Amino acid sequence: MTGARASKADPSTPASASALPAWRVILSMLLFRPWYWFVDLLAVSLLRLAWHVGPGLILQAFFNLLSGEAQAGLTIWTILAALGALLVARVVGEYGFVYADVPLFADVSTLLRKNLLKHILRRPGAAPLPDSPGEAVSRFRDDVMEIPLFVILINDILIGILIIAVSILLLLRISVPITLVALAPVVLVGLIANAATRRIEHYRRASRQAAGQVTGFIGELFGAVQAVKVATAEGSVIAHFNRLNDERSQLTVREKLFDAVLESIWRNTGSLGTGMVLVLSGQAMRSGTFSVGDLALFVYLLQSMSDLTTFGGMLAARYRQLNVSVERMTRLMAGGPPGALVEHSPVDLEGPLPAVGYPQITPADRLETLSVQGLSYRYPGTTNGIEDIELHLQRGTLTVVTGRIGSGKTTLLRVLLGLLPKDRGEVRWNGDLVADAGRFFIPPRAAYTAQAPRLFSSTLRDNILLGLQKDEAALRQALSLAVMEGDIAGMEDGLETLVGPRGVRLSGGQAQRTAAARMLVRQAELLVFDDLSSALDVETEALLWERLLAQGDATYLVISHRRPVLRRAGQIIVLKGGKVEATGRLEELLESSEEMRQLWTITNGP
Amino acid sequence: MNLPLKAYWELLAAHIRPQRARFGLLAGLLLVSIALQVFNPQIISGFIDAALEGAALSRLVGAALLFLGIAVLQQSLSVGVVYLSERVAWSATNALRAELARHCLNLDMGFHNAHTPGELIERIDGDVAELANFFSQFVVILAGNLLLLAGILAALFLVDWRVGLAFSLFGALSLLVLQRVRDIALPQQKALRQAEADLYGFVEEQLAGTEDIRSSGAVDFSLRELYRLQRAILIHDRHARRRGWFIELAMGSLLAVGNILAISSGYLLFTTGAITVGTVYLFVHYANLLETPIWTLIREVKSFQTIGACVERLTELRAIQPDVVDGTEVLPLSGSPALAFEGVSFGYDGADPVLRDLSFTLQPSGVLGLLGRTGSGKSSLVRLVFRLYDPIQGRILLDGRDIRSAKLASLHRRVAMVTQEVQLFQGTVRDNLTFFDRNIPDEQIQAAIARLGLADWFAALPSGLDTHLEGGGRSLSAGEAQILALTRVFLRDPGLVILDEASARLDPATEQRLERAIDRLLEGRTAIIIAHRLGTVQRASEVMILENGGVREYGRRAELAADPASRFSQLLQTGGSESTGGSETRPHEEVLS
Repeated sequence: MTGARASKADPSTPASASALPAWRVILSMLLFRPWYWFVDLLAVSLLRLAWHVGPGLILQAFFNLLSGEAQAGLTIWTILAALGALLVARVVGEYGFVYADVPLFADVSTLLRKNLLKHILRRPGAAPLPDSPGEAVSRFRDDVMEIPLFVILINDILIGILIIAVSILLLLRISVPITLVALAPVVLVGLIANAATRRIEHYRRASRQAAGQVTGFIGELFGAVQAVKVATAEGSVIAHFNRLNDERSQLTVREKLFDAVLESIWRNTGSLGTGMVLVLSGQAMRSGTFSVGDLALFVYLLQSMSDLTTFGGMLAARYRQLNVSVERMTRLMAGGPPGALVEHSPVDLEGPLPAVGYPQITPADRLETLSVQGLSYRYPGTTNGIEDIELHLQRGTLTVVTGRIGSGKTTLLRVLLGLLPKDRGEVRWNGDLVADAGRFFIPPRAAYTAQAPRLFSSTLRDNILLGLQKDEAALRQALSLAVMEGDIAGMEDGLETLVGPRGVRLSGGQAQRTAAARMLVRQAELLVFDDLSSALDVETEALLWERLLAQGDATYLVISHRRPVLRRAGQIIVLKGGKVEATGRLEELLESSEEMRQLWTITNGP
Repeated sequence: MNLPLKAYWELLAAHIRPQRARFGLLAGLLLVSIALQVFNPQIISGFIDAALEGAALSRLVGAALLFLGIAVLQQSLSVGVVYLSERVAWSATNALRAELARHCLNLDMGFHNAHTPGELIERIDGDVAELANFFSQFVVILAGNLLLLAGILAALFLVDWRVGLAFSLFGALSLLVLQRVRDIALPQQKALRQAEADLYGFVEEQLAGTEDIRSSGAVDFSLRELYRLQRAILIHDRHARRRGWFIELAMGSLLAVGNILAISSGYLLFTTGAITVGTVYLFVHYANLLETPIWTLIREVKSFQTIGACVERLTELRAIQPDVVDGTEVLPLSGSPALAFEGVSFGYDGADPVLRDLSFTLQPSGVLGLLGRTGSGKSSLVRLVFRLYDPIQGRILLDGRDIRSAKLASLHRRVAMVTQEVQLFQGTVRDNLTFFDRNIPDEQIQAAIARLGLADWFAALPSGLDTHLEGGGRSLSAGEAQILALTRVFLRDPGLVILDEASARLDPATEQRLERAIDRLLEGRTAIIIAHRLGTVQRASEVMILENGGVREYGRRAELAADPASRFSQLLQTGGSESTGGSETRPHEEVLS
């Protein structure tokens, strides 16, 4: 694998083709907060002038004062006052950054993150991210932050160009030939530096990759520590580790050396220019056409210009990386329109937090029948999935889906709810065709609990409500239905108990019942859950079912293989190899279906 | 920082000593470069005076060329310094990385169960990388900048003692003020880091739980949480930046004070005729130059805190010793050994015993079939044979010798194990077979493959032994991974083989290959097989069924099978899907899920 190939986004994914060019993203974000951008522009001009031009002019005046060539009326006090003014300009400029950059960074990064999150959450939920969630976080963090940074770096470029132009004019006014000679190294180095940035990128990539090899190997080594020990391979794996380390150090030293040479050339332009000025100005100073003050100004401005070109060179290299960042973010939003990343909308960082809107139930939402016909889905690149599923259910009934491992039970629920995109088939709610299942099957129409539900690091209350406005009584009722009230009573902080990252502080059963309460408190028309039993003991599960079915009016579609549930089901759907093998009540199926009989024998339970 | 300075010095000395010459050269270059920094402004100063006096043009051009030459020399020196210090740092840190990795490998499984690979990456690579600067530059930079500071002040004293004194006071004041203001934004920055960590934690959770959020209709809630967390960042960022502004204020003021000092003292001395214009230029230049060493000193002293934390963590890691103590005897290299357990009890970390008072004897070339539910102690039993752990009570004998008396390396050469989860590395098939040992010739590998009857499988690999495998074995099926593991073991020619049978569903072709290869592997060797399917037990001469850490049943296979009252024969009758336990990793994945 070559470095170049490794870091580019996969060209086969449609998203990378539709990524905006980086400059359009920057422009769009600049227009999102033009005022802060403008204040930053003012602050940058003030600071750059105070740093890069002002001191030079003051020094020129001062030395001219000493050598008696100063304009009339200039005294040492003017000089000292000017130094004071510079200080004020710097401090004011710095404050401009505090005023403008902080909210600019906050607003722009929030908008980008909001757009990313919104699109990820709205796409079919079980469709995988391009990489692991951990990797995606680095896109939310590092790639996002590059954008506001560049919005303000534009100002540095603009002002930098302006300052270089002003400096050249100031110098030309003193002496045209000396200026031209002094500028020659700056121009030359600018060209070299630009050509070199490609190499920088190349070396950086190679050394990053070598570093990745080292950390990757440490991870593998200690992940396989038992295998290494039993193979007595300590010596040879350490030898391999040393080889990787050596490769990394060679590549890194090469990169650092190249950087150092480049930086030295950049920094040297100031000194080279100064040297040239000294060589040429000797004659002029002797003849009095070039003052000490002029020399001081030349030395100062040449150093400023060389600093600014160094900075410009760095920016050019960084802009290349910016395109990679935009591509990486766009890939997270696979399927979204190209402009979705930069779409403007409010980011509520000041004032009260916005209320969370949950749709209200309408009479049309009331479930009477749900029917599914010819529903099919195949996992890309495999023969696994579901095929031609037919299913009808009525209000107030319990429908149980059962079957062996890999028979397609979970897939059926996910495709039905639009968490996976169906290949074929139709779903009707009260006879009306459901167009976008993913947006349709949400509370208050349908609610779902996965087999391994996810909780979030917050309080139990927040995990159950997720912003839903419900009174205490409704919450208590949901908790009771989920057989959770005993657990809550046993917790010191009750509903305010913090559940830890991903809910790790709860037991498996508590997490599952919390998720069940989260589903139940939404009082949805259709309740769908995937095998509650996997983390519940038999008694708790039995109690839970007793309470759920005492509800009467509710409609359930569940996966289970527990005997009590199968006995209570109004309808059982037996899946085999992704297809409906049989449908009916338990006693009918035990008569008619061999598959059901087998499942029933191996099923544990009273 | 509780460690004595001696600890730092020893660490530094131990890793610098092998490259003393390079380090000396580095120090030399840095010192020369500092001297040039102090000397260079003197040239311009002399040039100005000479030009104003109307000196000969050749003298002026000479001075200008000297300036140019020194500027170029200085830049070359700085490149040389970067190169040398990187080389010194990488040699030292890589040696340290290797030392730590070896140390951790030698620690027992108790340590590895408590420390994730991710954490070890941080300790072996992350902490050590922080030390790179310490090894290469810290001492030199610290000494160098003190010298630079002293050099500038000395040069000023030489011109005029009053100016020298004034600048010394100014330097002391700067150090004092910057030291004071340096950390004023630290609490806010910490709060900001925490707020950012909270945000990224939130994002990670959201991305892992997209299905739950969507099916709960909570997308808007998610976005509101995002706003809430971003607000916290905004608030802390604002506080931190406001505090940071005071640092800028302090720095700017100091710089202005320095300039005012240089300009006014230069002006006063010049008007009294004590100094020349060139000397005034020198004052101004030095006033600006003073800032560099002052800031560098403050920064380096601060980085010493990070270094301190790293050195402490490093010392801690190195102080951990394995509980399993190496023996001294070398075991004979050939023949199949006899294995005996004598009253062995064992528990992890002193918790409830996993094995209780276990005794049995396995004759040379005997094959023991081990059965039992998940958690009955099968895996623990075989780990003890390897001394991945030591028993709490009792002894384990190999050819009549307590394995605790044998050298670990020697024991591991005699005993080999094929686990169910085959651990593979990102690399070629060859690297995975030999564990990166480049001394094993391909012919030897080919011969082992041929004797195992796997030649056709290996021949089908796209690039033979050079075929690249993904890390974690993602590109292989469970059966194929087992084929690699068997070949690994065969290459080493052990006397005792422990086999944890693959329970994953294998395709018939792979399964057949595996069966043949296992037959070959076990020829003339003593073996323990953890069986997940009864078919495998056909190979065993003896059968043991474990239950709750004790022996439920133990005897010759033929006798147990013939005894209708035995548990084993019952298992044979029912097909035994229940009692053999299934896969270790997914206990709930029974027939239904």
